[in-house]
Amino acid sequence: MDIDVERKNETLIAKVTGRVDSANAREFEQALSGAIGDDSKVILDLGALSYISSSGLRVLLLVAKALRNKGAEFALCSLSDPIREVFEISGFDKIIPIYGSLMEVMED
Amino acid sequence: MTQAPYKILVVDDEPDLEHLVRQRMRRQVRTGRFFFVFAQNGVEALEKLNDDPEIDMVLTDINMPKMDGLTLLEQISKVDPNIRSVVVSAYGDMQNIRTAMNRGAFDFVTKPIDFKDLRVTIDRTLHHLTLWREALASRDKLVSLQNELDVAHQMQQSILPSTFPERVGCQIYGSMEPARDVGGDFFDIVNLDKGHLGLAIGDVSDKGVPAALFMMSCRTLLKGAAIGDPSPAKVLGVVNQLLEEDNQAGLFVTMFFAVFDPARGTLVYANGGHNPPLLVHADGRSTLLPSTDGIALGVVPNLTYQEKTISLSPGDSLVLYTDGVTEAMNSSDEEFGLDRLQQVLEVAGSHNARVANQAIFAAVHAFAGERPQFDDITCLTLRHSERAP
Repeated sequence: MDIDVERKNETLIAKVTGRVDSANAREFEQALSGAIGDDSKVILDLGALSYISSSGLRVLLLVAKALRNKGAEFALCSLSDPIREVFEISGFDKIIPIYGSLMEVMED
Repeated sequence: MTQAPYKILVVDDEPDLEHLVRQRMRRQVRTGRFFFVFAQNGVEALEKLNDDPEIDMVLTDINMPKMDGLTLLEQISKVDPNIRSVVVSAYGDMQNIRTAMNRGAFDFVTKPIDFKDLRVTIDRTLHHLTLWREALASRDKLVSLQNELDVAHQMQQSILPSTFPERVGCQIYGSMEPARDVGGDFFDIVNLDKGHLGLAIGDVSDKGVPAALFMMSCRTLLKGAAIGDPSPAKVLGVVNQLLEEDNQAGLFVTMFFAVFDPARGTLVYANGGHNPPLLVHADGRSTLLPSTDGIALGVVPNLTYQEKTISLSPGDSLVLYTDGVTEAMNSSDEEFGLDRLQQVLEVAGSHNARVANQAIFAAVHAFAGERPQFDDITCLTLRHSERAP
């Protein structure tokens, strides 16, 4: 699992690559919370995410909650079909906004 | 915890040595890190070792009357293998030094004793002993943690149903195999009014002890809610609310709950973010249960869940499973997947619930082969059997 972070106009874009499972969920949590500052908008580009377990989903829910409490926006984009299915089955696509592409979410 | 001073047994037939050691090492003794006791030969040393379990280290000469140092070394490991020994040998006496090392000596110093060197050697030996004892203590702690986990495993398995209700019109069989000692998966069968049966399956995010603790409360809340008002949508709503109110860790549980009426074959269900169960028809074809669009429990407060109703024909089965089944991996990184599960059920679906359920586990194990189990695996099968004529 790798996270590449860049900032564009007060928006933090974090690109997650590889697998997030129970073995590295804690590392994932620390990396995300370390990367996120006072950004008013945070976008996770999950286009290169190959697998996410329930422990990884838990981290995303915690991030979503923390950002919501700060009044910041949070969105996911570019999910592959299997990853999107994980969000659909768990119902978390109703909690965290999901966009088709980075361009789509930047324009929104 | 402060370490009590180490006790070092010095063994030498030279009567002057005791005086010399006491004098040259008095400053180190005064710091309270260690102190000395003395013996004149191997026999006396062995007696002291047997009488006094607090001796940590032995410093012994090799040539002594009655019992020499090399024989003593062999005996020390029998008294206590955790005692560390240092031998004092004549300068250049490689033969005896080698023998001593082979018999378990930790180090050696040569005669005439250089006390500076002896201090360093004692320090190093005691340092090693400290680390060694810490390692032993960690090992003991691990063993006791493992014992606790074994008990937790038994407790968890004992709250899962192990006997299954026998009713006219249905058979049920379920099983959970945790990936570690304890897991976050569970299933339950609740006896309700009018001969109805409540069927639940759940999967707590994450694994191990935190998941197991969360799982225990899910299962208890679910049972309580189901006995109060068995409407599946209401049950999920109540459990969601109770879990969300006190959930700092951000754990969640995907949960499917259904109420089956064996007399009519009707099944009312609600799904809170769980993998959709499979409805297996008598001819082996299977379809996913239509979604009720529910969110996993414990995350969002005040949710209202939807429920749906279907009819099971005699010979139909409902298979509830967790993603430990469909996401089981083999050594080529392939997932077991829904297609393979459906293939198993094409044949196994026409058998009774126990056989069908066990066939799923067997297929998953055969598929995974040598690859270690990564997630808890749970499966619960309900079969709507032909009614007795």
